[in-house]
Amino acid sequence: MAEANLIDSTVESKQYIVVVLGCERYGIDINYIDNIVRQQSITRIPKAQEYFNGIINLRGEIIPVMSLRTRFGLEKDEFTKDTRILILKPESQGKIGVIVDAVKGVLTIPPENIDKPSAKNAAEDKIVFLSGVGKSGDDLISILNITTVIQDKQDEDNK
Amino acid sequence: MDVSQYLEIFIDETREHLQTLSEQLLILEKEPENADTINEIFRAAHSLKGMAGTMGYKVMQELTHKMEDVFSDVRNGKRKVDSNTVDLLFKGLDRLESILDSIVNAGNEGDDDCQDLITQLQAVIDGTAAAPAPAPEKAEAPAPKKKGGKKAAAAAAAAAAEAPAAEEETKSEAADGEKFRDFTYADFEVHAIENAIDEGMNAYGATVYIQESCLLKAARAFLVFKALEEIGTVAKTEPSTQDIEDDKFEFDFSVVILTKEDVDKVQKAIMSVSEIDHVCIGKLDKETVQKHVQRDEDEEEEESKPAENAAATTAAAAPAAAPAAGATEAKKPTATTASKPIVNRSVRVDIEKLDDLMNLVSELIIAKNGLVSLSSGEGGDNRTGSDFNDQIEYLERIITNLHQSVMKVRMVPLESVFNRFPRMIRDVAKKLDKKMELYITGEETELDRTVIDEIGDPLTHLLRNSADHGIETAEERVKLGKPETGTISLNAYQEGNNVVIEVTDDGKGIDVEKVKNKAVERGLYTREQADLLTDKEAIDLLFKPSFSTAEKVSDLSGRGVGLDVVKTNIEKLGGDVEVKSKLHEGSSFIVRLPLTLAIIQALMVEIGSEKYAIPLGSIQTIEDIPVSDIKYVQSSEVINLRGSVIPLVRLNQLLDIESSKSPDENLTVVIVAKGESLAGFVIDTLIGQQEIVIKSISKYINSPKMISGATILGDGDIALILDVNTLV
Repeated sequence: MAEANLIDSTVESKQYIVVVLGCERYGIDINYIDNIVRQQSITRIPKAQEYFNGIINLRGEIIPVMSLRTRFGLEKDEFTKDTRILILKPESQGKIGVIVDAVKGVLTIPPENIDKPSAKNAAEDKIVFLSGVGKSGDDLISILNITTVIQDKQDEDNK
Repeated sequence: MDVSQYLEIFIDETREHLQTLSEQLLILEKEPENADTINEIFRAAHSLKGMAGTMGYKVMQELTHKMEDVFSDVRNGKRKVDSNTVDLLFKGLDRLESILDSIVNAGNEGDDDCQDLITQLQAVIDGTAAAPAPAPEKAEAPAPKKKGGKKAAAAAAAAAAEAPAAEEETKSEAADGEKFRDFTYADFEVHAIENAIDEGMNAYGATVYIQESCLLKAARAFLVFKALEEIGTVAKTEPSTQDIEDDKFEFDFSVVILTKEDVDKVQKAIMSVSEIDHVCIGKLDKETVQKHVQRDEDEEEEESKPAENAAATTAAAAPAAAPAAGATEAKKPTATTASKPIVNRSVRVDIEKLDDLMNLVSELIIAKNGLVSLSSGEGGDNRTGSDFNDQIEYLERIITNLHQSVMKVRMVPLESVFNRFPRMIRDVAKKLDKKMELYITGEETELDRTVIDEIGDPLTHLLRNSADHGIETAEERVKLGKPETGTISLNAYQEGNNVVIEVTDDGKGIDVEKVKNKAVERGLYTREQADLLTDKEAIDLLFKPSFSTAEKVSDLSGRGVGLDVVKTNIEKLGGDVEVKSKLHEGSSFIVRLPLTLAIIQALMVEIGSEKYAIPLGSIQTIEDIPVSDIKYVQSSEVINLRGSVIPLVRLNQLLDIESSKSPDENLTVVIVAKGESLAGFVIDTLIGQQEIVIKSISKYINSPKMISGATILGDGDIALILDVNTLV
């Protein structure tokens, strides 16, 4: 099922977890979500990519945690009581955690309300992380393309 | 009788018997008169035959029966063992092994009926050992020149004599090597061929024989297909293209080609590919094709059943089974390759080890009961923390023992890997026409099962490397004043928490200059840089991808995909390889492997506010060093510790941590060793020794090489494990 989602299927309405990052809202396909945990102690990995905060111990499993803020070039995370780590389980790959400022809730967005991203509504370098922009009432929600977010392409030089 | 429940035992025991046979044959070749060996061989062959018979593996039974006949002659003194006979017997063993593999993977004996070998063995028994095929059949088979053709022809002809009348016709056709006459055609294939003939094209059947010395049969076959496709269309192949690509064929394969060209062109196209021995081509017409469809469908009905059941493929029926399998080819190969191996891999465990485990588990139960009574008996009485601590200690002791016992169960002696090497070296020596002996010591050394499974290939490669590049030819050796026969030794022993495996030869050693020249040639270094390389650094270049010093690419090694793969494989197991070499005196490859993989003893240390684990196995000592003792060599920090100069590694700098110590405080230095080189890790505080479970860090993170994994501590925190091998 998640396989179809990877190709951004436009057939059915999908549910998204809405998260807050700075002043923007992002949606993550609910099928990717394995778990949402509160912020906990993160063990740093030296010399790793900049946007990886480190690894956490989730019930005996070692899971890498990435900061979406650093990934998107925003300022560093400030850990508050709202900070959450979303544990994502992408198809056929290991789990990975992403740190977000807060989790707002679940939203169903019909595909006709999702526009393809255009270079205007996002910073140039961020555009690859988005698979579309969804409208829900007056709010605009950027739908994250998880595959590119966790992929490690253009980051060779960042290391 | 349902024998499937015995399958696992059968497979285990067959492996053992095959191994014994192989070992004893090697001895027999050297000491043809050794009565013990002959008896041993005879026993093993006999039980093998009996087991195969009980399980209903007819081909296996027949083949072993013939081999046993040969052994029996040897035992009765009727025959002397010569190298040819041994070769043939080894071929038989190989075939038995592949049948066994097929039983393991597919649940049946496969399509190979082994008639060729059986015929040859019979020839040996009849005393016509020199000629691989009996004389009369030879006359009937004029076309094939080489052994391959003769064998097949002889086998087919021999079989034809016994075969039922209905099959007589095809068999005699097949006898002249034109195996394509045995084809069975699917409907669509018939249509394609008929259409082509209607359009004025010619349909040719061709059976291509590849030289038996050819190593990359599949590649040659592919080239043949390519050549054929340039002049026409390949309508059918036997075995299927998939099987050919996967190397699942003997030294011949057959095709039907539709083309406008004539026979000569086709012949030329095929022979343009090198290492092709010969090819038999014949024209096909509609009738023959039609006939085969009809006839073989019937046959399939009859044959598919026994073939599937891995049961009766008797001598007479066996040749027919091959075409039948051809007809089912579309279904069968996919079925067999896709399905999981039928038999699970198993480890034989000493009953004593199991008893140990059982005892420990019962003790665990007692300990648990102790704790239960402690907690329920709590309250007013005098039970204090000390009772509790006693119980905890007791529990701890049991768990440590349990861990060790479980690890022991997982341990397998290296013998299971080593025992295939004598045979391999023998074959390699024959192929290269060199003289060499393999000496093995320490095969009783035990390693974790997972390591054992993985170590075979790298070791094979190292041994071949020694045999091919290391050992010189006999003449060269005599000229150099060395004994004519080269020595390769394979030694294994335990060293601390590691197992060391050494592959040593007394051959020509590594020519460092040659390596350097090569590096310059390849553009890895400039001349000046290369000259500055130490011998060790130069030798390490050998482990770089696509770096081979062999001037000639040989069948065995030297394609430049060797040592780097060896190194990666070994590193994957958490080990490392080291090379020592002296020109003209030989070289040795030293492989170090961790004893176990999952759980290790480690020293926990603190650097800044972070915790790290250093595997205890590599730690030598821990020293307290005053800052004034630090010396500088080439502007890097070293200490002189009891006579040896040890470089210091400031872990906090490598790991980007701020040290919690002030710069003028004494340094806590952990002295670690990797092979013979030492290094001193500067750390902040020692926490203590702890047993840790190694967990891998997800591949999302580009974790640096110096971190080999992570572990979860008692309080749920994570500590990273330092990889000593990359840090030293």
